[in-house]
Amino acid sequence: MDLTLPRTSPESPLDHTAMLLVGHPNVGKSVLFHRLTGTYVNVSNYPGTTVEVSRATARFDRALSLLDTPGVLSLPGRSDDERATMRALLHEELRLAVQVGDAKNLRRTLTLTALLAELGVPMVLALNMSDEASARGVAVDHKALSEVLRIPVVPTIATGGSGMQPLIDALDVAKAPAPLLHYDTDTEAVVQEATALVEELAPHPRLASRGLAILFLGGDSEVEQWLQEKSGDDYARLVALRCAADAASSEALAARLAAERGRAADALTKTVMDQSAHLRRPMAQRVGQLAVHRLWGWPILLAVLYVVYELVGVFGAETLVGLFEEQLFGEVLNPAVTDFFNRIFGAGWFTDLFVGQYGLWTMGMTYALALILPIVTTFFLAFGVLEDSGYFSRLSVIANRMFAMLGLNGRAVLPMVLGLGCVTMATLTTRILHTRRERLITTFLMALAIPCSAQLGVVLGLLGGMTFAGTVIWAVTILFVLLFTGWLAGKLVKGRRIPLVTELPPMRLPVLGNVLKKTGGRLKWYLIEVIPLFLLGTFIMYMLDRLGILPWIIRAGEPLVTGWLGLPPEASAAFVMGFLRRDFGATGLFALSSQLSAEQAVVGMVTLTLFIPCIASMMMIIKEQGARTAALMVGMIVPTAFLVGGILHQLLRIFW
Amino acid sequence: MSNREHLRLIGVPVGSKIRLAEFDPALDPLQREQLLAYGLSVGHPLEVLQQSPLTVVLCDHVEIALEHAVASDLWVEKLPRHAP
Ligand SMILES: Nc1nc2c(ncn2[C@@H]2O[C@H](COP(=O)(O)OP(=O)(O)OP(=O)(O)O)[C@@H](O)[C@H]2O)c(=O)[nH]1
Ligand SMILES: [Mg+2]
Repeated sequence: MDLTLPRTSPESPLDHTAMLLVGHPNVGKSVLFHRLTGTYVNVSNYPGTTVEVSRATARFDRALSLLDTPGVLSLPGRSDDERATMRALLHEELRLAVQVGDAKNLRRTLTLTALLAELGVPMVLALNMSDEASARGVAVDHKALSEVLRIPVVPTIATGGSGMQPLIDALDVAKAPAPLLHYDTDTEAVVQEATALVEELAPHPRLASRGLAILFLGGDSEVEQWLQEKSGDDYARLVALRCAADAASSEALAARLAAERGRAADALTKTVMDQSAHLRRPMAQRVGQLAVHRLWGWPILLAVLYVVYELVGVFGAETLVGLFEEQLFGEVLNPAVTDFFNRIFGAGWFTDLFVGQYGLWTMGMTYALALILPIVTTFFLAFGVLEDSGYFSRLSVIANRMFAMLGLNGRAVLPMVLGLGCVTMATLTTRILHTRRERLITTFLMALAIPCSAQLGVVLGLLGGMTFAGTVIWAVTILFVLLFTGWLAGKLVKGRRIPLVTELPPMRLPVLGNVLKKTGGRLKWYLIEVIPLFLLGTFIMYMLDRLGILPWIIRAGEPLVTGWLGLPPEASAAFVMGFLRRDFGATGLFALSSQLSAEQAVVGMVTLTLFIPCIASMMMIIKEQGARTAALMVGMIVPTAFLVGGILHQLLRIFW
Repeated sequence: MSNREHLRLIGVPVGSKIRLAEFDPALDPLQREQLLAYGLSVGHPLEVLQQSPLTVVLCDHVEIALEHAVASDLWVEKLPRHAP
């Protein structure tokens, strides 16, 4: 008999099975999710790490499914990741919600509580980051707060694991919070009228009509959509009500509602929080300020880049790759494997398939494991440390001016920097941007000119070993293309540029365990996603070669590849492979490195870096932007890549 | 509130303790809502940490960076040195 019976059996009368973790961005929801479910989702020190809902079974209650949601700056939500959270609130079989709040910023936390309270969902408030709060002299009387809100309030430190059992215990006594405020008379009248209408037209099975009415009046697009579906033609009555209310006042209704919630939260905060007066500024804050300093920001950026280059470009791409590719694979493994195949199967097509020029082992696996893996590993390590430090958010301040040229603001820095890790995932992160226009431009620029880690790996592997000047020319060209096309896109894509307003999370010492876990997860992705494609690509090359198609491709591509780009004719094959993954195409070029001059290597790498990223990222772009936009992007990217490559070839022929 | 003069946030020296007095009507309503969501509400005390390349203010232990276009639409008043 199974002795590990779950605490709540499946026939439990509680048929609602979902528990939502909601809260502001970067407050520790995902760390808490990991603690409560054992399922790791990415944790980083910047707002916007989680952009999709993830779910897993609770450790302490097998019948309860926990949902980690994207952070919401405010509800009504204004960006696509916030909308995902609202969707979860609307559509999940919600049993309760845990609001995760930042204890050192209680006022903001309670502003969101004020809205959640209106939805009437049973709640618990977890005041996370209690450690940082006390370090800053903030003391919250959580008993008093709990009395006012009439819900359990539990101080926690998610990273250290403290407060977890009290939090789990509190879930059993979760309650719908007492409302924090009544709006001013005029607004309240509108709210009540809208509430009555929602109640009549589209009552929600779990959420209170008043909460939905307030979100609707504030212009939440998910709630609008839900109400519209439920109420059909009568939806016009709700819209008419909101229009009338908006017209009756000089101030926008949404802002008025938000301001009143802010005031209520402010008042409550003053009664339950104590801020000790004399406090030294934390060291982390001073470091953080230097990082965005008008002058110091730049040397710090250079220093960070230098350290990353030393780790990835020198230690990873030279030392480790040398060790793996030349010594382990080149001298030990590959001769042994080749010998094995030759002895057992003799020379012939089968042996060639594994250990020939386009052999699955000698080409596919050797590149994937000996060449790219070391570089990608060191890159992910460096990246994870930077993510956890809080530096990435500060880059948006430094780069804001440059991004203003592209018609974007510094917020777009985050997806672009994440694109250096993986363009596919970063395409998803564009959801944190506020307008369709920003998302479109950012997605396009990433697909065109942001090399992902695997691509960086091959570039550094080939150019780094060959010519330092070439690496610099490559980087400068890509940066130039990025800025120029960005500038052009900013001019061409219709819409207004939105000025930057963003929070800068505190600088923190990276948690080693988290960095390792994240790196491990990303390496797993690399092994599962990238290596099969490498093998498939190698196999295709092998077949093309065997079936005699390769010479045909080479002939067809000759005018472009040899005539325009000045590359050896065999490089045509690399571009064919580039359609699969651009880094794989780059690897194909690498295979020809003995036949390439430094100039040719640079031209080839630039062209392939500007190629469409990979099949996975194209699927993501189709999912996020639609097939038409994606097709349009490919239609612009491929010619741009060849155009830039050719121009560079002509320039380098003259000047280098 | 008090009858001190109102200054644009963009023109306030670094290190000043200030209080948000009002939003300029020219400020985009969505942006204003965003500022409120970050905790920048009228009457709330702030500290100016930096003015260039962006304006950075400290609000309840959180640093918030604002582009000058936004910072110039925020009217603030200086708090006396000994104020909380
Ligand atoms: N000092 C301290 N840091 C914490 C605590 N909880 C989380 N963190 C850190 O806060 C950062 C954000 O944590 P996440 O779990 O990614 O936050 P999130 O709420 O999921 O953020 P989004 O997904 O962006 O909404 C990470 O750097 C964590 O290590 C805590 O209790 N104390
Ligand atoms: Mg998260």
